[in-house]
Amino acid sequence: MRITVDETRCEGYGFCAEAAPHLLELDDEGELTVLSEEVLPDEAANAEAAVRVCPVAALRLQQ
Amino acid sequence: MTEDIRDVVIVGGSIAAVTAADALRQHGHEGSITIVSDEPYTPYVRPPLSKGMLKGTETEESVFMAPPRPDIDFRVKTRAVGLDLERRRVLLDGGEELPYDGLVVASGARARRLGPPEAGELVVRDLDDALRLRAAFAGAGSLVVVGGGFLGMEIASTARGLGLDVTVVDRDPPLVRQFGGFLAEHMTRAAVDEGVRLVRSPGAVELVGGNPVTAVRTADGLLLEADVVVSAVGDLPNVEWLAGSGLGGPEGLLVDDRCRVAPGVVAAGDVVTRVSERTGRPRRSPHWGSAIDQARAAAQALLKGDEAPVYRPAPYYWTEQWGLDIKICGRILPGAIPEVLSGSLDERTALVRWTHDGVPVAAATVNHRMPVVKLRRLATAS
Repeated sequence: MRITVDETRCEGYGFCAEAAPHLLELDDEGELTVLSEEVLPDEAANAEAAVRVCPVAALRLQQ
Repeated sequence: MTEDIRDVVIVGGSIAAVTAADALRQHGHEGSITIVSDEPYTPYVRPPLSKGMLKGTETEESVFMAPPRPDIDFRVKTRAVGLDLERRRVLLDGGEELPYDGLVVASGARARRLGPPEAGELVVRDLDDALRLRAAFAGAGSLVVVGGGFLGMEIASTARGLGLDVTVVDRDPPLVRQFGGFLAEHMTRAAVDEGVRLVRSPGAVELVGGNPVTAVRTADGLLLEADVVVSAVGDLPNVEWLAGSGLGGPEGLLVDDRCRVAPGVVAAGDVVTRVSERTGRPRRSPHWGSAIDQARAAAQALLKGDEAPVYRPAPYYWTEQWGLDIKICGRILPGAIPEVLSGSLDERTALVRWTHDGVPVAAATVNHRMPVVKLRRLATAS
């Protein structure tokens, strides 16, 4: 499973980073950084939670 | 751990409910989670309902969230009708009782209505409301919106974009309560520039006709007729199902600084009211970001009790109307002084900050992308 961010849609809300802190992080400027595009099975549920809290559907999960 | 929480029941099916469930799992809860929602749908995103979904640029399918995780029992069309605090049971409308060790109340709010339920008054709150209004827009030439707040002006903007003649009627000047006089004036001017008619009613308006409502009469007798009339006059917290438990009231469900309500009971989202540190009075903050932050705080409080972090509200909300994409951190207090830090509202792109007694209290971007973290720094930096 892979997680990617559509930077043209991301508005830097940051709700996602708290849901999946091992995968996503806000940098000092508040911009979203994907720490790991590869989502290991034990992180899958958190990745899905991160996708759910994004109000602009900027995160994608692909099998 | 304060107590052993095995079975968790969550009442409500929107962002606060699913975020609470996700946060419970994230923080190690391995017991059961049952979510009961009285809606016929799995969770969806509400912000587009007055914007892209209503306009038709976003499909109704696109508003649905990724389905809840498989280790959660999500029950649609299931209404909670009572709470037995003593026996820790949620009572469902079919007569079933759901026992719980921990309860998350995320029953949300509903649209306030001006008329009786049978009047067929159009509102925008749920997906079905938005679908009804979208259907009503098809073939319509004119719209009256009652209520010039956030939601009313978003609906007006969407309808104007579809080519309808739009009138907005309110007792107060539009948007001032939420955006302060400075920003509200620019937003209102943008609305008028788009051809919207703004009408002030010196008192409560009256809906004329029923099924459908065909006109609105202002307090001074002006009759505003339209093909479609929609009310956007605020929301009411869904607390009635709690009546027998002694919890909740017209202001909502009061929580402490960790979103706790009673032993084994926490709450999050639009149903929640908190005592404002500034005014000492109960206040709801019915916004997407508050729902998420409260749900996370509530989940941790349920699992960790006093060890859970204190919930510190960091108000954040946004709107899109008249081609203006506006995001706000903090609270634009009455009397706060605005300062344009960059850009210009006349040029429709700006960064604005408000100070109150010399201290920053809020910051906003207008058609200007800035990550929330940075905007929040501006809103709070001394």
